[in-house]
Order: sequence, then C-alpha cells, then structure tokens
Amino acid sequence: MPLFVKVRSFLGNLFSLRRVDVDLDQEVHAHLELLIAENIRAGMPPAEARRAARIELGGIEQVKEQVREGRLGNWLHSVLSDCRYGFRQLRKNPGATAVMVFTLALTIGATTAIFSVVYGVLLRRLPYTDANQITAIFEVSSEGRWSHLADPNFDDFRDQNRSFETIAKYNSNIVSVSGASQPTRTMVAAVSPDFLKVFRVQPILGRDFTAADAKKGAGPTVLVSYGYWRQQLGSPLDFSQLHLKIDGAVYSVIGVLPDGFRFPADVDLWLPADLGGETPSRTAHNYYAVGRLRDGVTVDLANQDISAIARRIHETSSEQNDYLLKDGVVVPLHDSITGKARPALLVLLGAVGFLLLVACANVANLLLAQASVRVRELAIRSALGAARGRLIRQFLTEAFLLSLVGGGLGVIGAFWGVAALVELAPQNLPRLDSVSINIPVLVFAFLLSTAVAAGLGAFTAARATSGDLGKGLEEGGRGQAGSQRSQRVGRAIVAAQIAITLVLVVGAGLLGRSLMKVLEVNPGFRVDKIVAMDVSLPWVEDPKAKASQAIFFANLIERLKQIPGVGKVGATSGLPMDGGLPNGMFLLMTQNEIPKTTDGFGLLQQKERLGSADFGVVTDGYFQALGIPLIRGRIFDQRDGPNSPHVAVISESLARDRWPNQDPIGHTIEFGNMDGDVRLLTIVGIVGDIHDYGLDAPPRPTVYVNLFQRPRSAITLTMLSDADTRLVTSSARGILQDLDAEIPAKFRTFSQVYSASLGSRRFNVILVGFFGITALLLATAGVFGVMAYSVSRRTREIGVRVALGAGSGDVLRMILSQGLRTIFIGVVIGIAGSLALTRTVESLLFGVTATDPLTFGGVTLLLVGAALVACFIPARRATKVDPMVALRYE
Amino acid sequence: MNSEPTTLLQGTLDLLILKSLFAGEMHGLGISRRIQQITGGTFVVKPGSLFPALHRMEEEGWISSFWGDSENNRRAKYYRLTKPGRKQLEAETKRWGRISWAIAQALETS
Repeated sequence: MPLFVKVRSFLGNLFSLRRVDVDLDQEVHAHLELLIAENIRAGMPPAEARRAARIELGGIEQVKEQVREGRLGNWLHSVLSDCRYGFRQLRKNPGATAVMVFTLALTIGATTAIFSVVYGVLLRRLPYTDANQITAIFEVSSEGRWSHLADPNFDDFRDQNRSFETIAKYNSNIVSVSGASQPTRTMVAAVSPDFLKVFRVQPILGRDFTAADAKKGAGPTVLVSYGYWRQQLGSPLDFSQLHLKIDGAVYSVIGVLPDGFRFPADVDLWLPADLGGETPSRTAHNYYAVGRLRDGVTVDLANQDISAIARRIHETSSEQNDYLLKDGVVVPLHDSITGKARPALLVLLGAVGFLLLVACANVANLLLAQASVRVRELAIRSALGAARGRLIRQFLTEAFLLSLVGGGLGVIGAFWGVAALVELAPQNLPRLDSVSINIPVLVFAFLLSTAVAAGLGAFTAARATSGDLGKGLEEGGRGQAGSQRSQRVGRAIVAAQIAITLVLVVGAGLLGRSLMKVLEVNPGFRVDKIVAMDVSLPWVEDPKAKASQAIFFANLIERLKQIPGVGKVGATSGLPMDGGLPNGMFLLMTQNEIPKTTDGFGLLQQKERLGSADFGVVTDGYFQALGIPLIRGRIFDQRDGPNSPHVAVISESLARDRWPNQDPIGHTIEFGNMDGDVRLLTIVGIVGDIHDYGLDAPPRPTVYVNLFQRPRSAITLTMLSDADTRLVTSSARGILQDLDAEIPAKFRTFSQVYSASLGSRRFNVILVGFFGITALLLATAGVFGVMAYSVSRRTREIGVRVALGAGSGDVLRMILSQGLRTIFIGVVIGIAGSLALTRTVESLLFGVTATDPLTFGGVTLLLVGAALVACFIPARRATKVDPMVALRYE
Repeated sequence: MNSEPTTLLQGTLDLLILKSLFAGEMHGLGISRRIQQITGGTFVVKPGSLFPALHRMEEEGWISSFWGDSENNRRAKYYRLTKPGRKQLEAETKRWGRISWAIAQALETS
C-alpha cells in the first residue's frame, strides 16, 4: 500500500531521523567499499582503488545531503530546525525576549478581550432561529424620532402589510408577583399572541398563547421563563393548579419557555396584552413591535411597505396632532438592540488596535536591534550557501514563535480580561450575557497573532537581509554601516509610535475631560444619603380603590419617618436618572373651563394653548428629601387633600419656556392624558430644574402633581437617612411586611442609581485611559530603547569626539537633539492624526470639542516630557563616555 | 498507482532503475552497473543521482530495501521491486513507448 508506505516513511523521517540517517551513512559507506573492491578486482593498487572510488562517489556528505533534501517531510524538518534555532536565538537574549513576549501578550490579550465584547454585542447573531429575518418596527414621530406603536396603528401594520410572516407587539414592566416561593418584583412582558411565533420559539412544557387567550375578558394566562420555573416555582411538571398573582390579578401558568429565551431583556413572565381591551387612540404609544420577514423579503422592502401604511394613517386619521405618527420604519432587530452601543464599542476597538500597533512598534525595534547584532551570523550563513529565502524564513519563524507564545499567554489573560470587562461594563450595554471567549474569538486571537507575526517577521527580515550580506564579514565585526541604516528605521518607528500614542492619549484625554465636565454639572438634587425603595401595589382603576392606595402610601411614609436616623421621606413615580418620567401634552385652561374627556382632543388643535412636559407624581417629602429647591410659591402641603382643588408644581425651565415674562403661579392646566384625570391643576409653585435623564442631558420641563390627589399604584419612596443603609433597609422591609405581607420591595441607594447613570462614560474613560497610559509607557520605553541603543553603538564615535575636545554639554546636546527631532516628527504627525480621528469620538464627548486645545496641549506636553526623560538617561550616559575606554574597546 | 507525470529525465532514471530491478534484487552499485550495461554505456548513473532516486522510490513504495551480503561477502543494502513497483514499471514502459514513438514520428516528418 503506497499510502501506508508513504506515511510510514514520513513518520520515520520525522521521528526516527537519527536511525534513518545512520542507515543512510552505512549504505553510502558500503557503496564506497563495493566500489573499492571492484577497482581492486580490476587490478588497481589499493590506494589508487580508494582514490578512484572516492572520485566516482563524489563526496559522501554531498550524496547524503542530496538524499535528505529529496525526503518526504523535508520541509517540515527544516521548519522544525528553524524553530529550534529560533528558540536558541530567543533564549540568548532572555531579557529582550521576556519583554517582547510580555508586550505582545498584554496587547494581544487586551485586543482579544475587547474584541470578545464587540463580537458578543455587535457581531454575534441573536440566538433565535433565522434571526436575520427578525426586525423591529417603529412609528416615526413628527419630529423624526422613532417611537413606540399605538394599538390601532399596530393593528393596521399587522393587517395591511405584505412583508411579514408574523408581527407582534410587546412591552415590559417591573411588577409585584406573588404566589411563587416569595413575593418578588419581576420583569413582566405583555405580548400579543403571535409573539413567540416571531422568534420561532415554543414552550418546552405546556402550550403557547392562542388567539382566545388574548381576547378581551379571557381568563388570564401566563408563560414563564425556564429560570423562573426552576428557581421560583421549583420545576413542577404539572402546573395545571399553578397560579401567580401578578399586579393584583390571578394568572394560570400555561407553559414554560426554553432555557435562554429572555426577550425583551430580563423578562421572566409573559402575559397576553390588552386583556382589558385595546386603547383606541392613535397617539397613545404603548407598545414595541417585532416582526419576522417573509422568506425573500428584504428589510428595505418591508420598510417601504410599513412606511406606506404609516403615511396613509397619517393622512387619514382624525387625530391630527404632533403626537400622530408621520411615518414608520423597519430595522433589523439586532440593530435596534445594539445600535446605541455601537459607536463607543467601535471607539474602544480602535483604541485597543492603536495600542497593539504601539506595542508591535516596540517589538519591531527590539527585533531590529537584535538583527543588526546578527549581521555577522547572517553573513556566515549566506556564505555557506543559505539562500536569502531561507534567512527570511528564519526571521519569520522567530517572529511567529514570539507572537504565538505572546498570543497564547494573551488569550489566557483575556479570560480574566473579559470577566473584568463584563464586571465593569455599564448596565445599559445590551447583550452582555453573550460576551465570552468562544471559538470565533479564539480564531480572531489566532489570526491576530499570525498577522502580528507576519508583519514583524517580514519587516525585520526585509530590513536585515537587504543589501549585500557579505559586507557583514568585512566590517570588522561591528556592522557600523548596517546599524546606521537600522537606526534610522528604528527612529522612524519611534516617531510613528509617538504619533499613535498621541492620538490615543488625546482620545483618552477628551473622554476624561468630558467625564469631568459631566461631574461638574449640578444635578439639581442631592445624590448621597438617599435610600430608594420601589413598591408597587396592584393596578386598580376604581377611584375608591385608588384613594385607599394613597392612604396606604401615606401610612407607609409616616411609618418610615419613624425609623431612627431617617429624616425626610418622599415618594415619586420615577427616580431621576432611572429612565425618566413619561412625557405628554398639557392644555392651558381658564379657571372655570370644564374639560369634557381625555379623548376630547379638539383643543389640541389650538397650538397656543398647548404645552409639553414630563409628568411626575410626587409627594412634598420628595422635594425635601432630594433637596430640590423651591424657587417661588409653595410645594404641596396639608391643604392639598384628595377633595380640595388639585394643584401642580412646575420646574423652572417649564415656567421660563411656557410662561415667558409671566408668573405661572395661579394658572391652570389640564394634563389628563397622563393619568386619565381631567380635573384642572392649579400651579402653586416653581421648583429647581433637575437633570432627570442624566447629567449630560439637559433638564426637562416637568409638571409635578401630588400623589395624594392623583394616586398611583407603583411608586419609589425616597428616604433621606444618616443611618446605616442596611439598618434602614431592613427596618423599611419590616414596616412594609407589617402593612401588607404580599408586597415585595426593592431597595437601592440613590448613589447606585447616580453611579449607574455614569456607567458608560466611566467604562469608556477607564478603558481608553488604560490603553492610553499603556501606550504612553510603551512609547517611552521605545524612545528609551532606541536612544540607548544608538548611544551604545556610537560609543566609539563619541569617544573620538571627546578626545578631540567635545565637552559633555556638546555630547548631551548632540544626543538630545537627535532624540528631539524624532519626537518632534512624531508629535506633528500625531496632532494631525488626532485632528482627523477625534471626530469619531465626537458623539461620546460632553462639554469639550473634538479639537479641545487644552487636551491637545496637555497631552502633547505630557508626551514630549515623557519622551525627553527617556532620551535624557541615555544622553547622560553618553556624556560619561571615557575616550580611552571607548577607543580601546576595539 | 502513481501516475503523476514525472520530468523526462527523472522519469527515465526511475524507469531504468525499475527495469534493472525487474531482473531481481540488487544493491546500489549493482543497479548502477546494470544500467550501464543494458543501455550499452549510454547512461552512467552517479551515486549523487542514484541514491536520492532510490530513497524517493522507496518512499513512493515502488521498491523496498533490506541489508544483505554481497557476492564477495560485504554487507550491502539491497533493493527489490514491490507489487506497486511492477505496476509502475508497466505504466512507465507504456508511457515511454508512446513518447519515443511520438518523438520518432516527429523527427521523421520534419
């Protein structure tokens, strides 16, 4: 079997080379003996016979070498010998090798870690069957913003489109759930019955929703997530008797969804939407929508389809106002989930790529320095017949060894790196659970290391083997001319390194300055010492039940005030920086006007009577606890009971915008489309603005109404407390238990909320800062390395100069000016590069421009300073050169 | 088995070696002398071409080797034809026949 024979010879050549070689040696010698014997038989004297035989054989070693070269697997063998040789080379300079491996490991590891986040968040497909067919559908508002869908609009999209196989709507909310092992606040989605079909997901146990489950007045049913089923329900196989009390109503569990299905994010329970009937308004935007495209339909086609339907609605609807949709849009679901995270992640990937370049530059310089020492070795090998290709391969092999070892260590480091990144990542970064070191990431790391190796190897090989290799032997072994050239290249590399580092550090500086500017913003309220407690009672409609919930909260607030250390206690419908308050249009009314219904939007046609504001339901204690200052008038007090005239407090910016040159106090408004209560609100006070949507977003005009006049079931209590947070939390939990054992509560300190609101900014600053500092250190080391090397190579020249009368000042100046030239070129290129590139981070900046002169100036000074220090040390060493020693050194 | 076209010169050497071994097992020098003999002295194979060819053909599986004693009691490495080697010889012979016929034709017509 030739194949078998081939494999056997290949393995033999590879693994028992010595045996194969000894055999060859014996064979050739035996041949020689036979030849000699033949010659003797032919009558030659023995000495003559031996000579003639040798001539005919033509050199034992050459014959053996010719056989070896023809052997199977010879290439592999020579690669292995290159590797062995390479290892010996690298071992000869353990210090430099360690530095190169560490540099590569650090930067390849960092790049791999960042790539794993980019891959997990931006590149990896969503974990659904044919996920590229799933799209998100939005209304486009009159201002061009994408918004949720109103029920009748969704129905039209669903019934009139020709692009979607299935289309479903959903929204999600945190509500109180009891009936499982303990009452919890759980993320619950309300979905239309086709929701799971869009994702091609089926319950692993039980059944999906049917159209009957979604009919108005149907018996409430619920699907649970796999995790919830295991942890909260105890994995029962029979759940026919299992009921959950969700937001006050009792739902039968009908099915369990597969492990890993959590859409929308973090949802544990799915209920049919609109069990109480749909909202007929086309301007009440209550739902998100997702759809699965029909086979062969592109997102573009679907987009045109939905857009046409939306424009038709816009033209024909009777509800002509600013809140009516103007258009519709379809985007891949993946884009709609990750779109916001994209710019920052790409900036991070770019930054770490720059860091990698800086690191490669350092390694290239070290390799180059080594190569110029090896000029003599190369010359000898070349004289002995090694082809240039073979020498180039030697350099490539060494670069591969370095990069693969560095890359391997880097990947090991990246496992920790990814864990740290996930820990550090802002809470609003989507799809964080899909970030891990997986096969594609490993492939990326491998390709990256290979690319680095190829680049470094090709570069050093090209530099080291160009020109006449034979010269290496002539130059008295010092390789002066060759090193001159390689030093020029080394300085060019350092200049490039400085340029890239400058770009990176400028980026870090801009992001850092933005964070500082953001932190300088006065939020308009206090962030420390506040404990927040989320409580939601079952949702009720009956005014009497609502009133009794208000009394419940009033009791709760009174009791919480009794906790030792707790001062002011308030309540709000939404904490600042925690998602913001709902926004809507209110009407300016005259005192005695009586509005008919919330649907009577006829007045909305009268622009001059309209106002737009966020709507907050709060108590007087809320302003006090958060320290939101009263500017004029009063806040809510005892006078404002449920039966007295309803009042409102407005924010400063609303007063300024809606009532310029007027005093809004005493004016009346109607804001019934927010809570269904059309009773007029009289403005009694003006309070300070707050940065509700985060410090980097402008404050929004806000109308505050009184929780005790406009009760609602879900609120967040805010307690100003000097006491230990854990004590306050456990006391508060006890009080709530005491009032109603079925209501769960969630506690946070407000500093946590505040800190989370800065999460993405902090994440970017920390990472880009870390990359910048690392690049700065690497570049400094690079400058130092090149200058030190240059000084050591010029020792003799400096010695001559000193012997001829150059002072130490002259030497210092000479070396420093050489370094300065390099630094200057690097800085100029770097500034130009920064000006071109910082535009990409513009969307991440706050309070600084992309060309902030302070940042540019500061970073340039920092970099030049560091580089000068790095130059100064070798320059000082140069001044200490003793001419006698330097000249005798030969 | 292996019908990869080989270069004319190498193919010729292979064919001659195979043909020599067709007569029976032989050591390297024997092969070399045999080729000299059967080609009427036209081909003199130097060890520098013979040994690489022998080792390559052994890796191909056409011939196999063993250590034995020569006619005058010296140890020598012997080669013999294997089954695939016989097939290769047949194939090469045919191929060579075709080539030499074609060349002869070409030379006659011109």
